[in-house]
Amino acid sequence: MIYRVRHVTRYDYQTPVDLGAHLAHLRPRALPHQKVLRAGVHAAPAVSWRREGTDHFGNEVTWLFLDVVHAAFQVTADATVDVACPEAPEAGATAHWEEVARQAWTDWQVAEFLFDSPHAPADHAARAYAFDCFPARRPVLDALLDLSARIHRDFTFRAGVTSTSTRISEVLRRREGVCQDFTHLMISALRSFGLPARYVSGYVRTRPTRARLGADQSHAWVSCWLGPAHGWLDVDPTNGIVVRDEHVVLGWGRDFGDVTPLRGVILGGGEQTLSVEVVLEEAT
Amino acid sequence: MARDEMVDGKGGLRPQWRSLLGVLAGLGHAELADRARRLERVMQDDGVASLLPGSPPDPWRFDPIPLPLSQTEFLTLQAGLVQRARLLDAMLTDLYGDQKMLSQGALPPALVYANPDFLRPCRHAGLGSLHCYAADLLRTEDGAWNVLADRTGLADGLAHVLQNRRQLGRVIPELFASQLLCNLDPFVELCMDALRRAAGSARAALLTPGHDDPAWYSHVLLARELSCVLVEGGDLTVRDGGLFLKTLRGLQPIGALLRGIPGRSIDPLELEPDGLGVPGLLAVARHAVRILNSPGSELVEAPGFSAFLPDLARRLLGETLQLPSVPTVWLGTTDRPFGWQAIPAFAPSWRPASPEEVAAAPWRYVARTVVEPSVAPCLSGDGLVPRPILVRMFLMRDRGVWHALPGGLGCVLFDALQTWPDQGSLLAKDVWVLAENPAAIEGPPPFRAAPLAIRRTAGDMPSRVADNFFWRGRYLERLEGAARLLCLTIGRLSGPAPTPHEVAELDVLIACLAQAGLVNADAVAGLGTTALSHALLRAAGSWGAVHALLGQVSRLTGLLRDQLTSEMHAVTARGMREVEEALKRIPGPADGQALDAASRAMSRVLGFAAALSGLTAENMVRGGGRLFLDLGRRVERAQAIADQIACALEFPGAARQPARVEHGLRLALELCDSSITYRSRYLSVLQPAPALDLLLADEGNPRGLAFQLAAIRSLLSEIGSGADTSLAAIATTLLDEPASMVRTLSEAADQSVAALFLPARLRSLRDAVAELCERVSRRYFALLPTARAVGIEVPSRSLRGAA
Repeated sequence: MIYRVRHVTRYDYQTPVDLGAHLAHLRPRALPHQKVLRAGVHAAPAVSWRREGTDHFGNEVTWLFLDVVHAAFQVTADATVDVACPEAPEAGATAHWEEVARQAWTDWQVAEFLFDSPHAPADHAARAYAFDCFPARRPVLDALLDLSARIHRDFTFRAGVTSTSTRISEVLRRREGVCQDFTHLMISALRSFGLPARYVSGYVRTRPTRARLGADQSHAWVSCWLGPAHGWLDVDPTNGIVVRDEHVVLGWGRDFGDVTPLRGVILGGGEQTLSVEVVLEEAT
Repeated sequence: MARDEMVDGKGGLRPQWRSLLGVLAGLGHAELADRARRLERVMQDDGVASLLPGSPPDPWRFDPIPLPLSQTEFLTLQAGLVQRARLLDAMLTDLYGDQKMLSQGALPPALVYANPDFLRPCRHAGLGSLHCYAADLLRTEDGAWNVLADRTGLADGLAHVLQNRRQLGRVIPELFASQLLCNLDPFVELCMDALRRAAGSARAALLTPGHDDPAWYSHVLLARELSCVLVEGGDLTVRDGGLFLKTLRGLQPIGALLRGIPGRSIDPLELEPDGLGVPGLLAVARHAVRILNSPGSELVEAPGFSAFLPDLARRLLGETLQLPSVPTVWLGTTDRPFGWQAIPAFAPSWRPASPEEVAAAPWRYVARTVVEPSVAPCLSGDGLVPRPILVRMFLMRDRGVWHALPGGLGCVLFDALQTWPDQGSLLAKDVWVLAENPAAIEGPPPFRAAPLAIRRTAGDMPSRVADNFFWRGRYLERLEGAARLLCLTIGRLSGPAPTPHEVAELDVLIACLAQAGLVNADAVAGLGTTALSHALLRAAGSWGAVHALLGQVSRLTGLLRDQLTSEMHAVTARGMREVEEALKRIPGPADGQALDAASRAMSRVLGFAAALSGLTAENMVRGGGRLFLDLGRRVERAQAIADQIACALEFPGAARQPARVEHGLRLALELCDSSITYRSRYLSVLQPAPALDLLLADEGNPRGLAFQLAAIRSLLSEIGSGADTSLAAIATTLLDEPASMVRTLSEAADQSVAALFLPARLRSLRDAVAELCERVSRRYFALLPTARAVGIEVPSRSLRGAA
């Protein structure tokens, strides 16, 4: 499936900004199941200096520096990608979760995602919430799908009630939030059982309208490790599905903080308003 | 049984102590105790207390008995330390690069990925190298040295070693007379060279967290020793792919940054937005600026790595580790051996861990043997007593080669806790390396700097410092002006009920007070003297307007602590304390003595301001900070004079009866403290043109307007040092205006009528001065707005730029 993505982020500042430094995770990374046919990041006003590179996790990064006085800053990311995820393995045939947890410790590339991170520490409340999904010796994918389905069932998708600094216990109490919250909740739960989990930042297809939650904006989901035989599998707890060909991956990290789509430090500016617009549609 | 550094346990004295003990015996205990007291005094005079009056005294105390090491011993130690530095450097390069040590299974992933000092944004950035290294060592019972802790951030103490050595030489020169020591200077020169080489054609700077950090004092010392500029994050900016220092002459490139802040604070864009770092620094760190040590270098000082060093030395260097750590095992894979102590595996926090903590996450802990450090003689009330000691040694890399300081910082331990004590409880010792073959000691070839151009201005002063001086001048002047105005007004209230003439004068004074923000005109005008006295007492008393101004002066004085001489600082601190007490003593309005007390307190404020001005005039070099301090005072006074004379010329009733302007003139002379001068020139005849000539146009009257404007003009041309004349040119045109006003008056048929038209001109002149201030700010300080994070939500704490 070939998609075109257009992601516009705009800051309007109350008073002019003298200097801005921004860091963008806005170019999709190339993967075995995701070919990046075209990707670009454009800034207005024009930047005085820019750099591109990859980060520790292998994600594409763009640095943008502005030193003209500006009252608004807009970043437009455009990309065309070809997505084809392989079939998920049969859940019952995957290794049991205790075995996967044990193997994760010695795999140096996997172990990184076992440990606490600022937005997704192993959490007692999250562990209690997920406890029933992890009876002894249950196949790991069974447990993961169960947990993802539960989150989808128990939580209401509602924008504006939480923010990037909302704690997991608060999300659990409210039983509502957005994709970031559900993703952090699931990661925290998995880590509390000693299972590695990654935070994936990206997009989910926009049409048909309202078919999928988390469209029209940045989306996030969880990547879970099924052991050395099957590797990583992406699961979207916001929609309660396994990721196949409706998602486009920008990049991944331990949590939101590692792959924030756009962050910056500005000098001046006063109050600011942020608007974000995302369109992901099939290329014709 | 701990090893004794001085005696060999068989009744013999170790050879390196012989001549030293001879000197100590020759001095005798009483003399030695006396010298120790002198040493303590000297250290206090020269120490942090002299730099920061009012701050707690220097937390470093100093034991006068040195710890001598033989040359052979030092060379062995040096070889071991150099190998360790090479190893830690190779580990950093690997862990911030290919991570072969992880993929090959030489290191458990937990030690890296769960380590808070592993800074992911620094990976693949060409970062991950070590330039400065220090190690805390102890000697075990069998005489071998063990490393207790590696210091791969910026280790405190190098500047203290140099200072200790100098002071000891001053106070007990006998110690140095009988034997040759390795000189410390070549190492300092080497550090300076390494920094200059790293900086290339640009400058080198030491990045400090700022004056409220405990390490600030040692950063001030180190920056002086290494002749590099001391900067805070807000002084630096990333532009066009480079790093720059904001100075009065504009942006100056920085090529090397000695990092005195934690790696995780270095760049708020990618790491922690705690306000210490520079946004975007990591993006330019690879090609435009060298950061010593690389951000994230603290990673490898985690005790968790100690257990793996022997194996890593073989893998990375192909060598056997020469200088071992205190025996350590990682509890992630090994059980705690009996009698060993469990401590956290990450971020040197040396508290012992409880068995419950270890059981919950054993991989977070290591276990270490409990070693008894060797003891060395220390001076106490009863003579020399042996006490356990640690030694910190310092290494620096220059052109790929590591060098060790032939000396070090000894530290006396008072409790069983085996860790370098926090500042505040450190008793330091000078560590000597005896020179057995003086000819063999060679310094590195010196790095020749180009001859410096003679300079009288401080163009390289960071804008933040100049900004602070400017505002200190402005607030000092506001404080003085407020006290003067309150004094005058209170003086008119203390007599019996005021005459109509006095009421009119009070109206003018109220207008002036309101203009200065000291009273609210609507709340007192026409409401009688009681309301006015209450308002005056509020402005003068604790938490009133005067108190707030005093607070601003105090804040800015604090920010300039490292720029002011100790005398200046002492006078300021003492004066401020006295004034504050005087303000507190003003009773409530019900008390009949309240106005009297307020008047006395205001006199004290005036005295304080005068003392500071006198000290500035006599002690501060003209140039740099002084120029901005003076400029601040002059612009503030010029505006106040213009305002007050305008108010006085609008004397009640003058519009209908122009002759009443005479009363206004009398008051204006009083407000500008110029009545006596006027009388001496013109006796008792009061006319507008001569009076306003004295107040507005006479450049010789320090309380007059022209004097301020002329001073502003010459300060601005000095600050622009001939190159930038645009601001001075504006000041020159302003200076024409008062003369023109006086000319208008002299030529007028009726001077009193003509004087009624002056207030509008005075106010527009005041606005022009304010506009000039704006231009000064934009030209010299505009680079200083506060940085804020966007896109991620951080607790609403703005990033600290500059004051």
